[in-house]
Amino acid sequence: MATAEVTKTQTQSTMVQALRSALLEEMERDENVVLLGEDIGPRGGVFLITEGLIDRFGKDRVIDTPLAEAGIIGAAVGMACYGLRPVAEIQFIDFIFPGFDLLVSEAAKMRYRSAGQFACPMVVRSPYGGGVRGGGYHSQSPEAYFVATPGLKVVAPSNPYDAKGLLIASIRDNDPVVFMEPKKIYRAVKNEVPAGTYEIPIGKAAITREGKHVSVITYGAMVHVALEAAEIMQKERVEVEILDLRTLQPYDSEAILETVGKTGHVVVLQEAPRIGGFAGEIAAFIAEEAIGYLEGPIVRVAGWDTPFPYALEKAYMPNAQRVCRAIKKSINF
Amino acid sequence: MEIKPFTGQPISVLAYDGSPVTNLDSLGISKDEYLSIYRWLVLARAVDDRGYILVRQGRAGFYAQIAGQEASQIGSALPLTKDDWLYGDHRSQGSMLVKGLRAAEWFAHVLGRSLDPSQGRLMPHGPGRNDLHIVPPSSTVGNQITEAVGTAMAQRIKKRKEITIVYFGDGATSEGDFHVGMNFAAVYGSPCIFFCQNNQYAISVRLQEQTHTKTIAEKAKAYGMDGFLVDGNDVLAVYAVSKHCADKARSGNGPSLIEAYTYRYGPHSSADDDTRYRPKGELEMWRNERDPVVRFRRFLEKQKLWNDDKEQKLLAEVKAELAVALEEAEKSPVPEPMTVLDHTYEKLTPHLEWERKELAAELGV
Ligand SMILES: Cc1ncc(C[n+]2csc(CCOP(=O)(O)OP(=O)(O)O)c2C)c(N)n1
Repeated sequence: MATAEVTKTQTQSTMVQALRSALLEEMERDENVVLLGEDIGPRGGVFLITEGLIDRFGKDRVIDTPLAEAGIIGAAVGMACYGLRPVAEIQFIDFIFPGFDLLVSEAAKMRYRSAGQFACPMVVRSPYGGGVRGGGYHSQSPEAYFVATPGLKVVAPSNPYDAKGLLIASIRDNDPVVFMEPKKIYRAVKNEVPAGTYEIPIGKAAITREGKHVSVITYGAMVHVALEAAEIMQKERVEVEILDLRTLQPYDSEAILETVGKTGHVVVLQEAPRIGGFAGEIAAFIAEEAIGYLEGPIVRVAGWDTPFPYALEKAYMPNAQRVCRAIKKSINF
Repeated sequence: MEIKPFTGQPISVLAYDGSPVTNLDSLGISKDEYLSIYRWLVLARAVDDRGYILVRQGRAGFYAQIAGQEASQIGSALPLTKDDWLYGDHRSQGSMLVKGLRAAEWFAHVLGRSLDPSQGRLMPHGPGRNDLHIVPPSSTVGNQITEAVGTAMAQRIKKRKEITIVYFGDGATSEGDFHVGMNFAAVYGSPCIFFCQNNQYAISVRLQEQTHTKTIAEKAKAYGMDGFLVDGNDVLAVYAVSKHCADKARSGNGPSLIEAYTYRYGPHSSADDDTRYRPKGELEMWRNERDPVVRFRRFLEKQKLWNDDKEQKLLAEVKAELAVALEEAEKSPVPEPMTVLDHTYEKLTPHLEWERKELAAELGV
């Protein structure tokens, strides 16, 4: 029995391991893939995603940078224009803002402003989200800014298997990708991650759980909150379908229409504040394109419209109860 | 000629009257090359004059002239090889021409025509051309600096014998990008030239209000980098210093900062009124006593390489050449409205496909 357990845990990976194997395999496959960021060398990154990679690939391909996000993202743009495929790490997405200009004014617009002459095949990976007692500057979910920037793609995986396949696809993509890693589940969620290379296509959502009464549309760490809510609702004989978007820009509109068509009730769940958030886009899309399917209001569940708190993060973060209330609001209409 | 960093006075080769103040042999420039340098100066000025008229005629929306700064641009771009990379700002079309951008393409860029390599997507700041390694600048002052450093880092990683030059103004040195970029390049020993055209104004703000250091060149010290102050209206001095820094970068000895001390004749751009902030007489002084084109012509005359006949012939030749270039630009059509969605991503996303249908309906195509 003991042996069986060991074997089982060995085939199960954390998201940290999955991301690391994606980086490693892509770096082996393509010597133009280089990493840059703060403390990603001998330290392995503060979350150890790049652990060991500098020993394998050397300082020219695993580049510890000075502490300047504008430099990290700006240099990545210049490298990408030149033909490399940089993967930049921003230590926490809360600190992306010194480099925000380079991302939205440069990376996002390079292809467009050069009429396709130059491209920015680059990935900016960064841990996001709360639930780790990180306070206001180690917990945020700023995806709305990036989703609202044409030229950027935005990806947010919810589990190790997807994380690996999506990161590989992002590195191979010829457009800049903001790759948001839900740090709360870096190690908390495991699933089976094959050793070899595989891609999960950007722009394709996945059904995490099938159900016929209500659809919860979400992404990243919130998928697990949705799962918890689904278990609770199950006891009340409400079958919840969970759609994990996986990519936020471009999002999978077909999959959204399909699940809405099936259930007629929708909850959109995000960790970020509600106003101007990405859930609003999904809600608006459904209202425009699928109003005929709806049998109740589209309900958003989100973080409160405040900065992210430290001591009171439990009161802040969307939880299963909040999702259940939203589900009831939608189905009891 | 010995080229030293951190000089108190700008490095120069020619006095204002065109007489050499240093030994010319050490520059290693042939007579033909002198003539070619002069042609570039004249051409750059003529392109700009012609381009600016397009705004006055209401045929273009914006123009930032380089007039007065031709020597800085030509002198710094001439040492570049075909493989080197160039990042410009909103005032570097002279350098882009030397790098290979055609005048017709520049005019098309100003007019927003499809001959413009960037297809009319940018305000006329320089269209970029991938095959020439000219990256089109955004309008955000300073952003090109860290990008250029990234390219130079990549050149070093790939062990290529190439360098990257990045142009920016004195105002841009107050942006974080300048400091971040200088620091990165110094840390990695990147083959990069930071070329600051100090035309003494950022729109209306004078250098003294921009920074508390006497020179911009001395800022390099803080990054452990050499900084060179050069007379930006002396094309031979700019060439010599740029060549020095290019050779240095090419041979693996890292980045340099060059401050070309110069002066802008025109308003900041076609949208500016420079009479509001320029002290009386300043512009006239620079124009009459320090003009980079006249100064080099005086030099050629003193070297017996130039005379009035040659001057008239050259001006006529350039005028004819630019008339042809402008005609070519004007003949090229305005980009098709249906292309407005292209190149946002490599392929249209499903949402953009949907928008494409909406646009087609709107346009009736
Ligand atoms: C980040 C940013 N701030 C402000 C502006 C508006 N602006 C355009 S050019 C300019 C002055 C630039 O001065 P300088 O860098 O000295 O270059 P110059 O125009 O003199 O060549 C300003 C304020 C801008 N384009 N970008």
